[in-house]
Amino acid sequence: MTPKIKTIRWHIPLLLLPAVIIYSAIMIFPLLATLNLSFFNVEEGKQVFVGIANYIVLFGNEIYSEKFWNALGNNAYFFMIHMLVQNPLGIILAAMLSSKKLRFTAFYRTAIFIPAILSFVIVGFVWKLILSPLWGIAPDLLDMIGLKSLFLPWLGKEAYALTTISLISVWQYIGIPMMLIYAALLSIPEEVVEAAECDGITGSSLFWKIKLPLILPSIGIISILTFVGNFNAFDLIYATQGALGGPGFTTDILGTLLYRTFFGFQLQLGDLYAGSTLATVMFFIILAGVCGYLFGVQNRLRRYQF
Amino acid sequence: MGTLKLKNISKSFGNVEVLRDISLEVADGEFVIFVGPSGCGKSTLLRIIAGLEDATKGEVIIDGQMVNHLGAADRGISMVFQSYALYPHMTVEANMGLGLKQAKTPKAEIKARVTKAANMLELTPLLNRRPAELSGGQRQRVAIGRSIVREPKIFLFDEPLSNLDAALRVNTRIEIANLHNSLNSSMIYVTHDQVEAMTLADKIVVLHDGKIEQIGHPIELYNHPCNMFVAGFIGSPKMNFFDADKLDVKNAITVGVRPEHIKIDAKQGDYECEITYVEHLGSDSNLYLTHPKLGAFTVRVFGQVAYARGETLHASLLKESMHKFDEHENVITDI
Repeated sequence: MTPKIKTIRWHIPLLLLPAVIIYSAIMIFPLLATLNLSFFNVEEGKQVFVGIANYIVLFGNEIYSEKFWNALGNNAYFFMIHMLVQNPLGIILAAMLSSKKLRFTAFYRTAIFIPAILSFVIVGFVWKLILSPLWGIAPDLLDMIGLKSLFLPWLGKEAYALTTISLISVWQYIGIPMMLIYAALLSIPEEVVEAAECDGITGSSLFWKIKLPLILPSIGIISILTFVGNFNAFDLIYATQGALGGPGFTTDILGTLLYRTFFGFQLQLGDLYAGSTLATVMFFIILAGVCGYLFGVQNRLRRYQF
Repeated sequence: MGTLKLKNISKSFGNVEVLRDISLEVADGEFVIFVGPSGCGKSTLLRIIAGLEDATKGEVIIDGQMVNHLGAADRGISMVFQSYALYPHMTVEANMGLGLKQAKTPKAEIKARVTKAANMLELTPLLNRRPAELSGGQRQRVAIGRSIVREPKIFLFDEPLSNLDAALRVNTRIEIANLHNSLNSSMIYVTHDQVEAMTLADKIVVLHDGKIEQIGHPIELYNHPCNMFVAGFIGSPKMNFFDADKLDVKNAITVGVRPEHIKIDAKQGDYECEITYVEHLGSDSNLYLTHPKLGAFTVRVFGQVAYARGETLHASLLKESMHKFDEHENVITDI
């Protein structure tokens, strides 16, 4: 009998340590600190524990709750436009790019992807200029094809602003779903497509019956990336419409609302505790969405090995 | 019915000519095998027949009808691919029935045909599985089943056994042979493995550099190769080639002798050689010999031998089994 020697393999925690320290310092700790902060408030100049009082204010006080539900609704609409326009369009573009008959694919691929690497400040500013009723080129362009009567100051109209800003965001980020789907389409073996051809499946039925089912896992990933990206969005709206999400808060989303609450804006004073509360709520909204996806959808999508 | 006629097929990819003026006929019910080294154009030829590739020149005629302009699905052919090419997201049953479903065949008939093919290939218990849950051999059987269900005029096989392990390869080979027997349809089969070619084919087409070198029955090709390429390609181990003058053979440039047509003896023979290597295969043995004048050559003997590397051995070439070739590497028939 050889005696069992329990050795502690020190090298494992040792090698994990740097990553754990860095990740904790910049992710875990701030997150926990924010969660913690949402249970405090200032009374008579001192920080005191108030339990869930901040949450009661956020959801119960009309000034706060009205803004919150407005932002959440706008955010949901923002997300819906991405799901309905950006992702289907990205799939169509990828399908076109992967077609062998198309020439200059490298050019199209790059051209469509470039906005995704541009700064949101540039994108926001450029689109503001394009759509400006005063010096924008959109009215002139419409005039050239005789449709000037259709022009409206889209970013300034309450009815259109949110849709317009959503579409600008779609324009900027469409390259990402396109690239992911393109990669997924390229990974479908040529022989499977040829077998389908022998079975008489060509053209659009080839896409619907063979290719689409095989890229579904990638579409799932794209949906969840879109969800997280959209509910964390802030930058484009801030650059284009300002922190107030104008006109009349119609483009106000959770990101801009959080910015105003936390840091303050114009006459509104920044409130650390209300901001933390809102940040926590946002965290749980996104967590719920991601968990719903992981447990509800991901399990049902099969990944295929060829 | 399933006859095929190829008329002067040529194919180029840009400046590269892969097929040059191929003409060929396949009779109804015939099992034809295209064999040749990698890059000889055999797969391209099969793909042209299938309609997956267009010929640069020439005509493909199936059952007397020119099909150059028809798509793969309308030619009445079906193809089995090397990598199986099953639809990963569908069950075995759906995989086999998809072609018929696309052609709007009534459901009951699809069901009947799939059931029949599944019985034939012993796939019935697997019908509800997906390709990922099958072994390699099972996947290839599904791919063959998918072909059968379509009831094609001509079956096309593109190296169907290459991805299988050795034992499975033999089994599936027999299965394909049985299938040909029971279905009695025309089959065209591409392989680089001459054992498959020899065992399965009614007719072998040897391709080399985009040209047909010889067409014939396997044994005819073995006994009467028409040039050095076919002589070297058919038969394993390879035929030995010697300079004719070294063997004192007149009216020829090269002489070919198959390894099994060389007699060896420990004591006497025409050439005294040294053994450089011995392969013991159990049922037979391959001896690699060198002779100072003839150079290196291979001898195949049946059964097991006790010779070892470094020993001396006497070899005699069987005169009546020699193949003589002229300066263009074509065979000389002087009998």
